[in-house]
This record gives sequence, structure tokens and C-alpha cells, in this order.
Amino acid sequence: MQTKIYQFLFLILCSLNVSAQEQKMTAAEISQFKEDVNVVAKKIKTLSTDFVQYKHLDFLSKDIETSGKMVFKEPALLQWQYKKPYNYSITFKNGKILINDEGKKSAVDIGDSKIFARINKLIVGSVSGNMFDDKEFTISYFKLKGQNLAKFIPKDATLKKYIKQIELTFDKEEATVVQVKLLESSEDYTRIVLKNKVINAKIDDSVFTN
Amino acid sequence: MQKSTIQFLLINCFLAIVLISCGSVSKNYTPKKLDKTSYTVPYFTDSKTDYVYKTNISVYGNELTGIFIAKKINDTTHRIVFTTEFGNKLMDFEISENDFKVNSIVSELDRKILINTLREDFRLLLKKEYLIQEQFENESADIYKSADGKRDNFIFISKKDQKLEKIVHASKTKEKFTLFFNSENDIFAEKIQIIHQNIKLKIELNYFKTE
Repeated sequence: MQTKIYQFLFLILCSLNVSAQEQKMTAAEISQFKEDVNVVAKKIKTLSTDFVQYKHLDFLSKDIETSGKMVFKEPALLQWQYKKPYNYSITFKNGKILINDEGKKSAVDIGDSKIFARINKLIVGSVSGNMFDDKEFTISYFKLKGQNLAKFIPKDATLKKYIKQIELTFDKEEATVVQVKLLESSEDYTRIVLKNKVINAKIDDSVFTN
Repeated sequence: MQKSTIQFLLINCFLAIVLISCGSVSKNYTPKKLDKTSYTVPYFTDSKTDYVYKTNISVYGNELTGIFIAKKINDTTHRIVFTTEFGNKLMDFEISENDFKVNSIVSELDRKILINTLREDFRLLLKKEYLIQEQFENESADIYKSADGKRDNFIFISKKDQKLEKIVHASKTKEKFTLFFNSENDIFAEKIQIIHQNIKLKIELNYFKTE
């Protein structure tokens, strides 16, 4: 009798586990999801969001946590501003990287570096969600509870050296990105959680400086 | 990722390094009777602690910043990882007194001269036990001399509060590089500087608490 109860409990646990897992989307669900995201992404002129970054390395006792604010303005102004536990900002602007490291300012001309252009596109794409480019990535789609998940595996060998896989988690209702996970070649990853997102508020160009 | 251009510049600087030998180290220290035969460094010794530092590396006027992580993974070995602020791993080493393993390094930084330099720096930074052969002093510190192959390490312990202040790594004639430590409690170093005397290389580590 007891064995049966345990078997029953085990079955329940298994089924719970399955429902919490990722489920593959059907072809129809994929096209609907992509359309939803693209409709929202197209409307984004500016975007600002708080973020918390968790760096996970297998050998550490706990993830390294940093946090700050990210601001994006069309077509390609982007700034990551870390506020905790240190002040560090990196701004992508007109082919330049502007850095402010605890008040120490520097600029790097990246000219028309191909890898940089690709990475910039990727960062902007991953925040707005608009990066469903089959030429660049092998993409797979999953459903979670209240969320959708897209996994991108770079096709380009150079990019693949840095990033094994990118996972974007979307809020199902809003069709916007809530989490970016960058997996490195080993089992280590960076997880960035986006919150307090504000879309299309007025953002002055002067924000994008170091 | 976005750092690759900076890294490229830095590497070129590294490659352009010409080792200039000049001057000699004058030891203005007063010899003193040996009061101990070994010294144990209190830093980087706890295997439960993740030692995480914001890092600035300056090489010939170029700056590379990121996060330096050290963790004691067994009795003899530390794992060292250097990432960008975004978290991408730039280098991943395992280092002990006699062993050194490169787990991974981005191709832009994969240069022998750079790896060998960092290997020496980190080996000394994480070295726990020093055997003492001679002792000196100056106005502010007791100075212990410890042989290190063909070279020597000079360990400076402040007279004021008995804290490890700096370690000078030197050949028989000149100083090669110096580790400076700032510590509140003498268990944990909040700020560390590694300054090279013969090349323009400076590594600064500032501990940050993750909340």
C-alpha cells in the first residue's frame, strides 16, 4: 500500500516537473510569437530599463551580481550603466565605444569592425527582442509558464567562440524581453534580468556620452 | 566582446615591449637578526570565499578593465578568471606554486609574453608560504628576504600594525615587480596593486562586495 502511495506521489512529482519544463512550440505558435514580438519591437523608438546581471561561474560559491540601467535609442545609440557595486558605463555611439570607469573617461574608435557591428546588433536585438535572423542563428522556440523562450545558436565561427548560445525569455502578454542569458563555450553563463522597462519615453541624445 | 579592439591595442603594446635593463637596486635596508624562518600570507587562503575584484590593467598607457576572480579550489591550487564587465570570460587559469594551466583565453590575449607575465604576477599574489633567509628593516617596516629560484622576494611588514604591506620581487641586481596590499583586517586585502618596474604594466584590484 505504502509503495503505491509513493509511486503515486512520484508520478505527481514527475508530471509537475514536466509542466514546469520547456515545451517546444508548434510551427503555428512560432509564427504567431515572432509576429507578436516584431510588432512590439518595431514600435520601440526608445527603451530604458533597470537590469541585474548575474555572472555564473561553476566554481564560485555564488553568482557575481552587478546592476544598473540600460538605455537605447533608435537607430543605434546604446548605453549600459553599471551603478552597483561600482560605477561603470559603456556607450555605443557612431562607431565609437565611450567608457566611463569611476569617472575615468576613455573612447575607442571601433571604425567598421565587422565583429563589433554584429555584436552591437546582437545587444540591441536581444533587448528589443528583434533578432530572429535565420541567417545568423539556428533558432529554437519554447513555451514556459506565462513566458516564451527563444534559443539562438550563432552560425558564425568567430561569434561562436565568445557565445555558445543566447537565450531570450519573453513575457507572453507584452512580447518583450525579460531575461537575456549568454552562455559561454563552457557551462558558465551571464544572466541579465530586465525590469522596470519604459518604452518610448523621451530620451535626449546627450544621455549617450561618457 | 566590445573589448576586442582594446585588447588588440594592448596586445600590440605587449608585443612591442622591449625589456630595458637599467640601474640597480640599492638596498638601503639595515640588516637585523632573524626573528622568524617562515611567513604565511593571510590573503586568498579561504576556500569558501570568492575573491572578486574590479580590475584595471594599464599597459603602456592603454587601459583594460574588467572583473578579476580568484578562488582557492584545493590545498595547492587557485582558479583565476578575468572577465569583462559584461561577464565574458577573457582568461581562465589554474595556478599553484609549481603548476600552471590555461583553461581558456580569448585569442586576442593568447600571447606567450602576456601569459608568462601574468603567470608570474599571480603566482606571487597567491603564494601562501615564504621561507625566510635574511631579515632587514627600514624606518617603517620589517623586511624579510625569501629566495625564489634565481630571484628573491622581499616581504615588507609594517612596524606600526604588523600588516603585510608589499612584496618586492627582484633579481640579484634590480626590482622586477612589486605587490602592494591594503587591508583593513589583515585577513582580506581590499586593494592590491601589481606594479612592474621594468615594463609599463600596472594591475590594480579593488575588492567589491556583491550584495
